[in-house]
Amino acid sequence: MSDLWAIETADLRKAYGPIEAVRGLNLQVPTGSIYGFLGRNGAGKTTTIKVLLGMARPSAGRATVFGLAADAPQASVDIRRRTGFVSEDKELYDYMTVEQIIRFTAAFYPRWRADLEQRYRKAFELPLDRKVKALSRGTRTKLALLLTLCRGAELLILDEPTSGLDPAVTEEVLQALVAHVAREETTVFLSSHQIAEVDQIADHVAIIHRGQTVVTGALDDLREHFRRIQLVFDGDAPEPSFRAPGVERVLRKGRVLTVLSSAGSKQIVDEAQALRPVSVDVVPVTLKEIFLETVASED
Amino acid sequence: MLWYKAWLETRWQFLIGLALLMLSACGGVLAYPQVVKLLPLVPSADVGGLIGQRIREGAELMRDYRGYVWSQWIREGPTQMGTLLAAILGSGGLLAQASGGAAVFTLSLPASRNRLLGVRAATGLGELFTIAVVPMLLVPMLSPAVGESYGVGDALVHAACVFIAGAVFFSLAILLSTVFGDLWRPLLITCAVAVLVGLADAALGEPKYSLFSVMSGESYFRAGALPWGGLLASVALSAAMLYGASVNIARHDF
Repeated sequence: MSDLWAIETADLRKAYGPIEAVRGLNLQVPTGSIYGFLGRNGAGKTTTIKVLLGMARPSAGRATVFGLAADAPQASVDIRRRTGFVSEDKELYDYMTVEQIIRFTAAFYPRWRADLEQRYRKAFELPLDRKVKALSRGTRTKLALLLTLCRGAELLILDEPTSGLDPAVTEEVLQALVAHVAREETTVFLSSHQIAEVDQIADHVAIIHRGQTVVTGALDDLREHFRRIQLVFDGDAPEPSFRAPGVERVLRKGRVLTVLSSAGSKQIVDEAQALRPVSVDVVPVTLKEIFLETVASED
Repeated sequence: MLWYKAWLETRWQFLIGLALLMLSACGGVLAYPQVVKLLPLVPSADVGGLIGQRIREGAELMRDYRGYVWSQWIREGPTQMGTLLAAILGSGGLLAQASGGAAVFTLSLPASRNRLLGVRAATGLGELFTIAVVPMLLVPMLSPAVGESYGVGDALVHAACVFIAGAVFFSLAILLSTVFGDLWRPLLITCAVAVLVGLADAALGEPKYSLFSVMSGESYFRAGALPWGGLLASVALSAAMLYGASVNIARHDF
């Protein structure tokens, strides 16, 4: 399984005292994919990442990376040797210079890519003799990215890598990331609540809400199967109970009945015809709409 | 490279502490001729109680250079300042860094938590050892400047006592640093424990195997006998607290 899935969780749970941050999370991240991990603030994304990297122990369930148990101390060291990680706040050692922290980090990775280090040093225009504490947020993010991309890692775990950055730096970071992944054939696990950037670079996605997976799959499949079906009636819309699979949400408003489907539209439209609507419209749904609909429907 | 990181994190505390103790050693030795001149005045001091007793005992000890060094410098400088420096060097670490966020970067590196803690503890102990030994060796080096001599062996024995007993406070600070997520509580609690130990010593008439008595090498000074029991107990206590710290850090969720 480890060849197929870079990351796999099964009924993963993590509680901090009475608060359950992750509540039965099931994920399968295909090796070689760019996997968008979407959720609102506080949905459990960062906690999941901490479990995967051995920073927090699961309360129940299972989490594996490269087929290794994330909560086993020695396996966790092996996982981290093969994984690059950018944290949400990009906190590094303020007292080190850029040059010092690059040398410090490189020492832990036998497969450190000196060629990439040179490339990103130039591309990101990093001031080598400046202290980390004196760097702007954008430059600090680029440094964090360099420290991650040069590890020769098989898996990159990126937790909100562009949070707090202006659009120009965000684009620069994303482009660097995409180019790197294309060259190095790395699996990327990208945690974000920035739907646009996930939509831009991911090929698989999971949406989590309140510590549980609510949508998961290949992004193309989601785009193909998620549909909004809008039925307009002469009078008030009826209260139907659809038997068709994949009905995610039904919304009645006056004469209009809106159905969100995750399994195409044909069966629902067939069922809906029996209700004699005056018009039936089927429209594709964007990732943002899927996110908003599924997360909102859970509230 | 973890050694390098630990060194960068503690170097200023270490260097400032080392410099202060070296200055204190120089001052202590070079002040001896002036102290000898003032000694005849001491018997006229009419102070009662514990303070008076300490003054009279100190004056008695100061008639001899070795006694002067022990009572006026070793018992005051390396013992008291060494305790404070041990607490400072032991405070901080992963939990304190976690509040600033840098701990997440450290924890993402392929190094076990035991290794992270072990390197930090070993670096701090190395610094504490240097702080114990270097100022102490200044005493035999500078003594000829005031027409006296002091044995290197004596200096090394006292340095070993300062280091081994001081490691107890260092280890306590390390242990507390795996409980509290800030820099100050481990430092303040360790200092408070040191003050309580000092007060208990005073109340009990400075027992032979008190931690500070072991730290100052009192039994070696008075009778030439190393405080083996106290030293072994200190090593055991330090080891137990460092083990406790490793257990704590291993099960901590960041």
